Amino acid sequence: MRWPDAWKDPATLALLKGTAIDHLLIGMGPELSAVRSHAAQDGFHLSQPGAPPAGVEIVKGQWPGVKVERRGGGSGVSAGPTGNPWVDSNGWAIRLAAALHSDSAVWVDAAPAGNALVTAASYLIAVADSAAYGGRWIVSLDTPLAVSLAAGKSDALATWRRVTAAAGFFAAHQAWPAYVPMAVVGVVSDFTGDNEFFSRELLNLLARAGQHCRILPKDRITDASLVGLRAAIYADAQPPASALRQQILAFVAAGGMLITVPQWGEVPGTLIQSDGHPRYSLRALGKGKVAVAMAGPDDPYLWANESVVMVSHRYDLVRFWNSGAAGSFCTVAPDGKQAVVHLLFYANRGPDSATVRIAGRYRAARAYTAGHPAAAKVEWAPQTDAVEIHLPPVSQYVALELDI
Amino acid sequence: MQTLHTRREWLWKTAAAVSGASLGRAAGAPTAPVALARCKTYDPAELLPTMRKMFDQLGGLGRLVKGKTVAIKINLTGSPTYRLGYLPLEDTHYTHPHVIAAAASLMAQAGARRIRLLESPWSTADPVEEYLLRANWEPRDILAAAPNVEFENTNYLGTGKKYTRLTVPFGGYVFPAFDLNHSYADCDVFVSLTKMKEHATAGITLSMKNCFGLTPCTIYGADAGIDEPSETPKGSRTTVHAGDRQPSRSAPPEKDPRSPRLDTWRVPRTVVDLVAARPVDLAIVEGIKTMTGGEGPWVEGDLKPVSPGVILAGLNPVSTDAVAMAVMGFDPMADRGTPPFESCDSTLKLAEAAGIGTRDLQRIEVAGASIAEVMFDFAAMRRQRRAASPPPFRVRG
Repeated sequence: MRWPDAWKDPATLALLKGTAIDHLLIGMGPELSAVRSHAAQDGFHLSQPGAPPAGVEIVKGQWPGVKVERRGGGSGVSAGPTGNPWVDSNGWAIRLAAALHSDSAVWVDAAPAGNALVTAASYLIAVADSAAYGGRWIVSLDTPLAVSLAAGKSDALATWRRVTAAAGFFAAHQAWPAYVPMAVVGVVSDFTGDNEFFSRELLNLLARAGQHCRILPKDRITDASLVGLRAAIYADAQPPASALRQQILAFVAAGGMLITVPQWGEVPGTLIQSDGHPRYSLRALGKGKVAVAMAGPDDPYLWANESVVMVSHRYDLVRFWNSGAAGSFCTVAPDGKQAVVHLLFYANRGPDSATVRIAGRYRAARAYTAGHPAAAKVEWAPQTDAVEIHLPPVSQYVALELDI
Repeated sequence: MQTLHTRREWLWKTAAAVSGASLGRAAGAPTAPVALARCKTYDPAELLPTMRKMFDQLGGLGRLVKGKTVAIKINLTGSPTYRLGYLPLEDTHYTHPHVIAAAASLMAQAGARRIRLLESPWSTADPVEEYLLRANWEPRDILAAAPNVEFENTNYLGTGKKYTRLTVPFGGYVFPAFDLNHSYADCDVFVSLTKMKEHATAGITLSMKNCFGLTPCTIYGADAGIDEPSETPKGSRTTVHAGDRQPSRSAPPEKDPRSPRLDTWRVPRTVVDLVAARPVDLAIVEGIKTMTGGEGPWVEGDLKPVSPGVILAGLNPVSTDAVAMAVMGFDPMADRGTPPFESCDSTLKLAEAAGIGTRDLQRIEVAGASIAEVMFDFAAMRRQRRAASPPPFRVRG
């Protein structure tokens, strides 16, 4: 937790007693020396803001949720090019940090803007948007809330209890971060240098389009990297090394799809004349296909959305109805016996009657929410190779545990 | 004493003037038989013979489609991510896929050369097949109904090289002509295959209102191009609903940009303009399962799923919609101010006045079941709904 500057009285530490918060980022000013001293005595780990402890990778994130912007003196919800609300999430950045720094824990630094008054629901989103993807949000309170908490105001304490309950919920499910992400598409890149902007924005926008990705740093690709995927996207501005090229083309020949840039170089196979895509030429190779963009990596929004259609919604891992602005992250236990699907609803009010369809065959399903951490039965309807789950009115986060 | 005219009075007078001028055309408006059937399920074993019998009662499909390219406008209104409660979209507000497949199959059996399923899906240039997948449908089930079935997204240029201009023969209420996806011209037979529903703006959604979706949002949408059509469609048809902007300049503009900017005035008239520009050769209204209270789950109010168990078809869209209205418990002769047109103009009355077809049940031959036999009283439910207080708020977990 980022210790609020306004909390100069060590007695405020009592707010943290019994919560999952175990690490404090406290400023080095003399006015906080008493707090530092008491916090150390109480067993908290202490660090300075901006100086994370060893083994921690910090993601500088955005305040998660539906983007709200001021227009002409009023406030409004910003819509993206799809007409759907534009959602800011740090999930993709957490997963990228974990992929690039596999030995480190990932903390998310995303504070509320200025003197913003943030709702309890918004804090729940902040906690869940990090924890669902295996990260930890550095609890950062807005100033009015911090001041009200120090004053012991009941509304503020109610919000605080929701924040700490959510943090406690994820701390109680320590096994989940070790679960393996499920994916339809692999994004292969070095994620740095000339490729940094495009590859990262592609991950961000694929997540917004509801696509489930496997992040594949190209210097770490193994024989197992492409297993189970429907498609691979290679959009780096440099051609792949020979071994990587062979590996990906073997994946295509076996039935996968490659979506790539002209920089890939010569593509074997035969041109599919009938396709007529305005921005890609399509080639058949073995049992699979290669879609080569006619231009280099330019617009990640177009790439993300067109790739979703080229791969096809037929292979969607998750489909939502009545969810509002939503996101999901599908994982499977290392032993393959259980899946956990994290559902995030980014509006300030959760959905009343959302349905979620999860691809795969499952024997049973349970739901957990941060507010009601005991497993709850859910109404579900089996389908061919999928299950449809009908959610009651819920708040911003639901975890579905499915027995395989 | 000076008289102050309200906007409402002005609207009424305008409407009255239009209908007065068109009385002659209304009296001579054409009629055609309508086949009506009870059909309680979407089971193909019940649906196929029911639809086949209906088409036979209309003189047989072969007469209409043999050797022809048939375009079928289906009704997939709104985003595929909206459901009424937990119900599948096809049980409430989308034309059911089994009805679409049955229609395609029967047309192929009757000798149709090519069957093109058309829709302008909400805010996307994606293939219709991808849209259907998002609705949790399997497009292959429909494509496999006959060997010559295909989809086209008509919300933009689609597979055409240019938009096709279709003119409104009677001059039009709002638009004199429309620029549409080529599919609406590149066909020999045009079918409107819709769901039986009420509509928040137009009172009812039947075979004519289904044609509202002919307009591509690249020209008539909120984000349409100013000079030329945009490349991809985004958002709703605000040009037609609110009239807060004109279509892309490449397309014919409204006849009178000073006409009312009220959707309850504009939508019924634009629908009639569209039906006149692209005549409907066969209207099919599916009310096996549907919803009451509006055209989709986004409509505010007490919406309910219902199972009227009825399907009908006719060769004139106005007459077919008139019979459908009667099946719903409404008077097809109803005018503005009377259910279901409490606050809007009657599309049927306007279409009749334009000479498209009659809504007078006394002039319409009904084959198969009688209206009384299959009636499902939407009108009574509408009265109850409007008299009731709003539903309670549910507790959130």
